[in-house]
Amino acid sequence: MNTMTINGRVETLPDDPDALLIDVVRDQLDLTGTKLSCGGGVCGACTVLVDGAPVTSCLMPAHAAAGKSVTTVEGIGAQGLHPVQKAFMAHDALQCGFCTPGFVVEAVAFCDRWRAANGTMVPSREEIGAALSGHLCRCGAYDGIFRAVADACAGRFDGDNFASPRVEARDKVTGAAKYTVDIRHDGQLEGVILRSGEAHARITALDLAPARALGDVAAVSLLSDDRIVRYVGEPIAAVAAKDRRSALAALAAIRLTSERLPAVIGLDLARRDDAPVVFDRANRKKAGNVSEAAGGPAPWKQNIRGPTSVFAKRARKARNWVNEARQANNRLLVEGTFRTGTQQHACLEPHAAVARFDGDRLTVHASSQWVFHLKEQIAKRFKLDHDKVRVIADHVGGGFGSKSSLGMETIAAIELARAANAPVRVAYDRHEELSVAGYRPAAEVKVSLLPSDQGELKALSVIAHADTGAATNSMIAGLARLIYPAEAKELRDFDVISNLPPGAAFRGPGGPPMAFAVEQAIDEAALRLQLDPIALRKRWDPDPNRQRLYDWASGLEVWRNRNAVQTGRYRRGVGVATGYWLYLWQPKVKVEVAVKAGRIVASTATQDIGTGTRSVLAETVARAFDIEASEVEVRIGDSALPEGPGSGGSRVTASVLPPTLNAIAKLKAAILDQATRKPAPGSNAPWRELIARSPDIAVTETRGEDGTNTAPGIRSPLKELGLLGIIFGWMMRRSSNIAIGAGVPSSVQVIEVEVDTWLGHVRVLNVHTGIAVGRIAAPQLAHSQACGAVIQGLGYALYEAREVDPRGGNVLTAGMEDYRIPGIADTPEIDVHFDEAGFDHVLGNSVGIGEAATVPTSPAVANAIFNAIGVRLTEIPIRPDRIVAALNKRAVA
Amino acid sequence: MSAATATASALPEFRAAGTDLSERRRSGLSRGPIVDLAATPGTIGVSWAADGSARIGAFTTIAMIAADRRIAAAYPGVAAAAQGLATPQIRHLATLGGNLAQRSRCWYFRNPQIDCLKKGGSDCPARSGNHLYHAAFDLGPCVAPHPSTMAMALLAYDATVTTDQRSRLTLADLLGDGTNGTADHLLAPGERIEAIDLPAPLASERAAYKRAISRTYAEWPLVEVCARTVLTGGTFRQVRIAAGGIAPVPLRLTACEAALEGKPADVENIAQAAQLATSGARPLPMTGYKLALLVGLVRDVVEQIAE
Repeated sequence: MNTMTINGRVETLPDDPDALLIDVVRDQLDLTGTKLSCGGGVCGACTVLVDGAPVTSCLMPAHAAAGKSVTTVEGIGAQGLHPVQKAFMAHDALQCGFCTPGFVVEAVAFCDRWRAANGTMVPSREEIGAALSGHLCRCGAYDGIFRAVADACAGRFDGDNFASPRVEARDKVTGAAKYTVDIRHDGQLEGVILRSGEAHARITALDLAPARALGDVAAVSLLSDDRIVRYVGEPIAAVAAKDRRSALAALAAIRLTSERLPAVIGLDLARRDDAPVVFDRANRKKAGNVSEAAGGPAPWKQNIRGPTSVFAKRARKARNWVNEARQANNRLLVEGTFRTGTQQHACLEPHAAVARFDGDRLTVHASSQWVFHLKEQIAKRFKLDHDKVRVIADHVGGGFGSKSSLGMETIAAIELARAANAPVRVAYDRHEELSVAGYRPAAEVKVSLLPSDQGELKALSVIAHADTGAATNSMIAGLARLIYPAEAKELRDFDVISNLPPGAAFRGPGGPPMAFAVEQAIDEAALRLQLDPIALRKRWDPDPNRQRLYDWASGLEVWRNRNAVQTGRYRRGVGVATGYWLYLWQPKVKVEVAVKAGRIVASTATQDIGTGTRSVLAETVARAFDIEASEVEVRIGDSALPEGPGSGGSRVTASVLPPTLNAIAKLKAAILDQATRKPAPGSNAPWRELIARSPDIAVTETRGEDGTNTAPGIRSPLKELGLLGIIFGWMMRRSSNIAIGAGVPSSVQVIEVEVDTWLGHVRVLNVHTGIAVGRIAAPQLAHSQACGAVIQGLGYALYEAREVDPRGGNVLTAGMEDYRIPGIADTPEIDVHFDEAGFDHVLGNSVGIGEAATVPTSPAVANAIFNAIGVRLTEIPIRPDRIVAALNKRAVA
Repeated sequence: MSAATATASALPEFRAAGTDLSERRRSGLSRGPIVDLAATPGTIGVSWAADGSARIGAFTTIAMIAADRRIAAAYPGVAAAAQGLATPQIRHLATLGGNLAQRSRCWYFRNPQIDCLKKGGSDCPARSGNHLYHAAFDLGPCVAPHPSTMAMALLAYDATVTTDQRSRLTLADLLGDGTNGTADHLLAPGERIEAIDLPAPLASERAAYKRAISRTYAEWPLVEVCARTVLTGGTFRQVRIAAGGIAPVPLRLTACEAALEGKPADVENIAQAAQLATSGARPLPMTGYKLALLVGLVRDVVEQIAE
């Protein structure tokens, strides 16, 4: 029998030749700090040390560890934190934390090796980037990781004098943080889902008996009432068994017959008149939703739903003016067709749920962005009493919009738990995660932009077709209403439905594709009007928040020094773009701030998906009581707490801060009121003393309306839309529990790139991101979010695209080697500028950052490339093949 | 409902470090028995003969090759290729023999739901489907580029492969000419790679390797090139240029080699010769861009060795 030494202990290795080292580490030894994410050796989340060298435990056969010494992240922190762990904590080199153990293990090996050879010399960015090139972080924490590794190598974290801005950072750098995939109850079964291999078919027979006959197997049907599957990967059934392999064997035993139906794949074919229809009239409600809110009514013919054009303004006028300008060959008329790629969320923690019934009570651990709402959705779907359902999400390994509602992983886990009468975990594998777990739809966006003879913006036409798969409710063109006012705007949105998996909300849904098209058109208009692109934006975009950002951007040295189009192999260029997102907040959100057993406790049923919500709450309470954030206990991630907001729509901070501040004020009064002894005069921590001596007191406050005293020019965007806007706002509140507040969170980015014209490679040299989202509640975490938003935006601009088989509809980019997200070495220098004004009417003065900060990145890159090579890239991602094509086009011209 | 691919997967498969096979086991693509290959003395590490030639054992890891100073001095193209492939963690595990015998990375091949020539199917779904990352030299029925970076670099060095059954196989003997679409190598069932022999380097020869990718690291090459030469009085001699990522097997770019042979090592000659890199190319509808990258990369790499 083979053994290995792991974290200093001798453990037996299984005989099974298919057992991998990660299976032993996680399942046999319950060392869940090591994460299984991509399963293909690409992301590095599973990295452990074998005889001191980092390896991917997801690919290493367990028997190969025989006689070797294995160290996991748990082993690294065991004798006191390693300097790398301390540096990660202090530099906030992590967000959701799911990739963090892998990074820590690799960085520890690098740091130890480096210091043995080089002492405390500081490694370069290039050296760090190369050493960590086998790791991926979807939140984009690379900026902090660079700083953390450099400082750990330099010996700056050898001591214990450091602080972390993120309250749960220690759990994340030591592997102690438990995610949904790490939950294991006694007797827990593993569930897997049988999925359609066809893009469109009717299931004529589904026989689960052979699966059940294998013994100790639960099996449930997941077919919808019409028994039709509309995309490859649509769920058909689910089984649970003692482990994944047994479950897969049971899945293979299911007998299934189906009748293939004509299918249509993708934006272009689905628009044809003769295309097979995906949803007939009776089944349209089965379509998914690609937005953060529920949709309104819209025309729907065959596979085309739309236009929705509620945000248009004198659309016919706009169309006529554009037509006239086209006929008159008006050289100021800017027109173009832009195409954006399908972007996968690619969360490193997959969609996962663990369901457990205790009598009639159901507890679900879920990798969820909205535990409170998920509890309500579960209660409704399974007809359970709301008080008997509890959803828990202590840590969530990324979401980005894809984990906002009740998903099939949760439905299957609950169904199976009920059928098996045992706890069941369902965790998507990477193929599922990158095919059926949602995505930002690709889009074709046609823009016509007409300046007046006086150089004002006269008309803007944006017509968008979104490749939504088996889903609807995209809004891309409509978002062009709330920026660059014009005399007339034609804004038409269409969903193009086809036999592809349904899209989902993704960080600023519709914003990045709108900006990619419109911001390039603005750039082109500036060229034709012979104006500085920032000056033109300043003229055409009166929003006061962005006016300040334009002043900041135009003063940047990189902008002032930019060159004209260059020649030679390497060409540099600088581009600018603007983005915004709505200021959303969630009514009815409640926060309890209490003294419990001499400690301050803040509670609300929200969750931290890496955005830093826990820390924002802790920091806010700590500041008010003049104590340390570590002295505040924050309870979130549990639907049993007072109703909290979803981590979507950039709404969390603006939803929880006002009730928190109100609750703090009331709690302070109550503490003083009930204090039997006042603090000693001159005490430097009067509240600490008062809290310690206070009886238990709890205050719960509800998010109230904002003040009406807004700064000049700051008003509700809905007001600009007139009556329709008021109706829209009312609908949003009623159907989606979202309020749209006054003022527009905004971002302006200036990006410098270098294009290698021989190899079609784009290197982003530096990014300057100016962000106006009010007062920054937690500066280091906001900085991390701002950098992560840029990095995700760079992925969208340069690397990321789902590719599908054009006939069968299979997603081909279903592994992390083919779906390419940015790595650490792709990260440019990022300069973050916060403009903190503009939201004085919000209690606490802070609104969300997550979405506004990612919208302008792709057009800023494209505008920079245009500045470098003189060709406009109208299609993203701007891969080498597209640079080559653009240069060829220019050569021909 | 899924395509049956069990026919090809029932055969036993060898496993060295498992960096390729483990992923195919996880996905269900490989379901037959596994035969673990055990390193024997002499199959790990590099041995040097008196004439300066080297023998690299099949179990030598990519990281060992990447870090070997004598390899870097004698065969800099091999060392650079080893440094440039995969990720640090994979390089630490993966072996040279495994790298040469690895299976295709084609996204149709890797999808257990889809049949293809390499899985006993009757046609290549990539050819008529989405072949964005596939061959630009259409040499056979399967259009997946060969995944082995080491094979491409070894081709530039006229290396040979010794198995337990045969010795001194050329890379072409091992991998074929691209016309066999059903396999990634031509090893007989049960035949295992034991060592790779590199001829003694030429006096003062130089070499370089580079891959064209969209990101900075950790990506299968769109195109990769390894070039060697001896510069004699500023003139190219003994030029060898190999390219990967563009064909079902690594290719020698003989037209480029011939055009450079005997020419002064200046940028004009290099640029002209690089244009010939596409001789014989037959791109697919989506892979024409690889030819532009190939020309650019040959220029880049040959300029590096001309400095």
